[in-house]
Amino acid sequence: MIDITAKKVLIIDVDKKEYNAKTFTDLNKFLGGTGLGLKLLEMFVDENPLIFSVGPLNGFFPFASKSSIVLTNDGVVEDLYLGGSISTRLKFAGLDALIIKKTSDNKTIIEIKNSEVYFHNEGTDIQSLGLTGKRCLIEFDGKKVLSDQYFTTPDDYLEKIFTEKNIGGISITGTEIFSPKNFDEYKKIYSEILERKDELRVLEGNYPSCSNCPMGCGKSKVGEIGGNILVNSLVACQFADKIYTDIGTVFSCLNVLGYDYTHEDIENLPGLIEETIKNIS
Amino acid sequence: MPKTIKPTQKDKCIGCELCVFESQRQLKKIGLEESLIRIFRKKSADKQTVEYDLEIDPRINILDIEKIVSICPKEVFEIVESSNND
Repeated sequence: MIDITAKKVLIIDVDKKEYNAKTFTDLNKFLGGTGLGLKLLEMFVDENPLIFSVGPLNGFFPFASKSSIVLTNDGVVEDLYLGGSISTRLKFAGLDALIIKKTSDNKTIIEIKNSEVYFHNEGTDIQSLGLTGKRCLIEFDGKKVLSDQYFTTPDDYLEKIFTEKNIGGISITGTEIFSPKNFDEYKKIYSEILERKDELRVLEGNYPSCSNCPMGCGKSKVGEIGGNILVNSLVACQFADKIYTDIGTVFSCLNVLGYDYTHEDIENLPGLIEETIKNIS
Repeated sequence: MPKTIKPTQKDKCIGCELCVFESQRQLKKIGLEESLIRIFRKKSADKQTVEYDLEIDPRINILDIEKIVSICPKEVFEIVESSNND
């Protein structure tokens, strides 16, 4: 069962081929996504971390369909956003964040199943890893990192860090479930948000879509970089900002899932993030 | 005869998984475990795009299948009479 009372972080050391899953209650105030990712960067900055993180609504509501990636590139902090199925797989793995730290001395493919990690050598067929239908595959052919064989991120920051760390690919399988107490209210809010698809700043298309988004737009393929702090901490799609900067909607979603965030928590988030970035610098 | 759904236009599927999550919601859960619909991604034969394969568990007919059909943005499913082969 997915635990929403704390932030669960899977920490992978690719040098030692070790991992551990840690639960942090004191990180709840960073909400998720970029907010959580930046705080984890501050905590692990000496170990060259690559951080994937999701927000409290990923997996649960439409258009909250991206994953945040925080990393440093030549000492500069970058935040990227990746579409496809990674956000739902991380969430259903019961994880709020995934940290890949240090550098492997040989090309390594990482297989994650919920909180368990398996390390595979180069030559392993990534298609053979994880549970089909419940997994997300992130593949790296040496040129571009592709999620679900389609989705990418802007620029080459992710490719550089995959190369630095000697990561050949990542398979993430999530088999955990969640059931809000007031399930009927949850279904009602889910439907109301889905009906607001006309408020998105993209047109419907026939391209591969992010998980939990019906748009099939042509814009998700290339990912996102930077943007609104609340949207990026939730980690919703930037084109759904009208929905996920609507504080009433955000609180309806958070409350029905059982989160106990207050308006002050949301108001304090930009300040917390600013302070965290200062500490990293 | 009982009804079921078939992905008669699966070439239109965009992999959004709304059908998967709808079927799970009807079973009062959020997640992918024991889902009665599964979507598999694969590269097209010319490797230029992504295609989706859908697997429907015959037990899907215990659910509100009309709701599942209607949530699909691409009208991939059709309601058909189920046979012993389904």
